Amino acid sequence: MNLLLALLLIFSNPSDKIKIVDPWMRVGAQGQATGLFFKIENNSDKADTLYKVEFEPAGMVQIHETYDAGDDMMGMREVGQIVILAKSTFELKPGAHHVMLMKLKQDIKKGFVGNVTLHFKKAGKILIKAEAKEMMKKQSMEHKH
Amino acid sequence: MKNQLKILFGLLILLSVNFLTGCYEHFPLDQDLTRTQNTFLNQDSVKVQFPKIIKDKITVLAMVYTHCPDICPMTTHNMFLVEEKLTDDLKNKVKFVVISFDPNRDSPAVLKKFAEIRDLSFKSWTLLSGDEQNTKEVMLKFGIKAIPADSSYDENGELSYNVIHTDRISLIDPEGRLKANYKGSTAKIETILEDIKYISEH
Repeated sequence: MNLLLALLLIFSNPSDKIKIVDPWMRVGAQGQATGLFFKIENNSDKADTLYKVEFEPAGMVQIHETYDAGDDMMGMREVGQIVILAKSTFELKPGAHHVMLMKLKQDIKKGFVGNVTLHFKKAGKILIKAEAKEMMKKQSMEHKH
Repeated sequence: MKNQLKILFGLLILLSVNFLTGCYEHFPLDQDLTRTQNTFLNQDSVKVQFPKIIKDKITVLAMVYTHCPDICPMTTHNMFLVEEKLTDDLKNKVKFVVISFDPNRDSPAVLKKFAEIRDLSFKSWTLLSGDEQNTKEVMLKFGIKAIPADSSYDENGELSYNVIHTDRISLIDPEGRLKANYKGSTAKIETILEDIKYISEH
């Protein structure tokens, strides 16, 4: 019976269908802005949409993308939402899509761990913890090649 | 015999030209930045002249804005990685300069916080904020464009805006000559290190 209940819980938990991998945020000073990054694995048979992110220490939170504006220029724009296709992974990463944490109410120093709430249209609310770093090591290593 | 001498002489001239141009071909640029000086405040609100403050140093420079959550921190971090990987003999020869192209928001105090949260050492790093005129003049010198875009208001009615901007790190020699530009956020650290070494050895 207990096993059955456990199985029911596992299969009814929407967060199993959406898995958040390697969440981290870049350090940022009070009053300034920073970025939040993670991978979204959609293990379900249907597409899902990330449409809202909450992070209490930020005065404003938006989903953004960084884009090449040509002529060696880079730009950034709000995208509102991100659609993650069925059985696929979407990565929010430096230089691409990211969550922009603006008007920080406090310093986000290295090692700080923040509680973030992600809102998906199908999976609902997913709570994650993201640690503050200057840059993922992997990103730094990529510069060597 | 005369013809042979002419050919030999011609060959010598060709070799000389090739040798001389070869010496200068290492860098794509050779722009003198010292013809005019611009006034800025550093992170401690001390008035300084640029490029006078980088005289006799090899300088790695970027123009950024601190409200940028992505590209400018990546560029600054790449400069930090360059500093981290400098060999001991070069550490005292290289200076790192960040100039804001958004001085309305980036006061010296804001720039100082931007640096401190990233553990940048003010022994080797200087962050500059200037008035509109001085900022524009330096942007022109470095060919930097910055266009405010994508603005929004928060719940308190305060304006936020992003800036579409040139993504660049520049390398300046100890005589104040701009020698090379690199894509800032995706710069190859080893290339910049090799170029710094080249300047220090020539």
